[in-house]
Amino acid sequence: MPFDAPTLALLTVLGGLLAADATSLGQLMLSRPLAAGVLAGLAAGDPARGALVGALLETLHLGVLPVGASRYPEAAPPAVAAAAVYAATPGAGWGTVAALLLLALGWERVCGSSVQWLRKRNAALAVRPGTESLEPRWVAGVHRRAVALDVLRGAVLTFAALVAFAVLPPWIGAGDVPEGWARLAVMSVAAAAAASALRVFGTKRLPLFLLGVACGIAALVLL
Amino acid sequence: MSGGAPAVPRRALFLRSFALQGSFNYETLIGTGFAFVLLPALRAAAGGDEARLRASLARHAELFNSHPYLATVAVGAVARLEAEGAAPELVGRFKAALRGSLGALGDRLVWSAWRPACALLGLSVVLAGAAWWAGALVFLAAHNALHLWLRGWGLRVGLRDGLNVGKTLREAPLGRLGDRAADAGAVLAGFAAVLAFGQAGATGAQHALGAAAVAAGIALGFRLRWAAAAVLLGVLAAGAFLARTL
Repeated sequence: MPFDAPTLALLTVLGGLLAADATSLGQLMLSRPLAAGVLAGLAAGDPARGALVGALLETLHLGVLPVGASRYPEAAPPAVAAAAVYAATPGAGWGTVAALLLLALGWERVCGSSVQWLRKRNAALAVRPGTESLEPRWVAGVHRRAVALDVLRGAVLTFAALVAFAVLPPWIGAGDVPEGWARLAVMSVAAAAAASALRVFGTKRLPLFLLGVACGIAALVLL
Repeated sequence: MSGGAPAVPRRALFLRSFALQGSFNYETLIGTGFAFVLLPALRAAAGGDEARLRASLARHAELFNSHPYLATVAVGAVARLEAEGAAPELVGRFKAALRGSLGALGDRLVWSAWRPACALLGLSVVLAGAAWWAGALVFLAAHNALHLWLRGWGLRVGLRDGLNVGKTLREAPLGRLGDRAADAGAVLAGFAAVLAFGQAGATGAQHALGAAAVAAGIALGFRLRWAAAAVLLGVLAAGAFLARTL
């Protein structure tokens, strides 16, 4: 385990708070991997490595749209765990990054399912069909309890992910993958994920996308 | 209170709006949250009449939905109607008419254009080699500039216009803003895709992989996450196989 107990506790609380930011409280987008990775990296001691994993996970989340009452994978707990593990493991290379991204993609589905469970639980807690009178204290109480439950849910999921993500990459031999291969694969996936965002904006904007590609090539040549 | 709007606790409504979706559920959606946000205004409107307060809370805890950033439009308008003593049936019909447009407008502007464009801006900053904090800071600042403005603007026009807020929504340039954000997002998607592959350390013929990755990303679109997982799994499996055989 690359964390001491206080750091593990701090990251668990951070994961809980960021999970709540996604829907229940704030929606300031601190829960997005790009921000959560930096915060987790700071808590784990190496914000630059946390930022790298957060940015890679962000590319994979560009196409996740919380439109209407849709059901979607949840970003914050896996992003906190993946970024923190990578930040706290200085010797870990690109194979570990690949393993952490894969684990995060899987854990995001589990977290998304837990959000569905929470919403059903909220219905049992907060819905009183046919009621013609509600106490102000009751409304405020159930609402605050629902937010607290979301924080707790996020904290539990983050804690579980921190333990699993610290143990699994070495166990599956992620460090055995040649660095060049792993880096090429990870950054190709990130490039494909960034390109897939064109579908979010509409393929009629392909000319603008190609303009961006040309600017990117120019930047690579010039910088 | 300016613009002829009634005396309602504007700051409390604004702050509570950040917890609007706290009790989101699949039956009343944000109904309970809407009642929670509106509570200070309903208390002021009831003027010490506890029965009226409890009845209005029950009405507002029923089914409602909206984009969270634009929900303050409904909060402001309903707060005004309640302060003016509007009939419950009128308030109910008004909320039902408003909720579809607030959801669609917000989804199109924020989730489908502004947020991904801001995220790509932040990613481009990271991939261009800026300091570790810069990408997240740029993303959060850009996204929340619109987010906080929308919450404040929504509450203001809701309180000011009441039942007529629909006209204000139709005249606001939110759709055009979404289109321009999507335009910028498309450029940034292409830019970030190239910069990402530029970090891959590719040599010689491997550069063709970059073009293939970009084309695959466009083709896969929303299904990309499954393909990404398959690629990462394949690389890890190949690494494990090599480690055992060589």
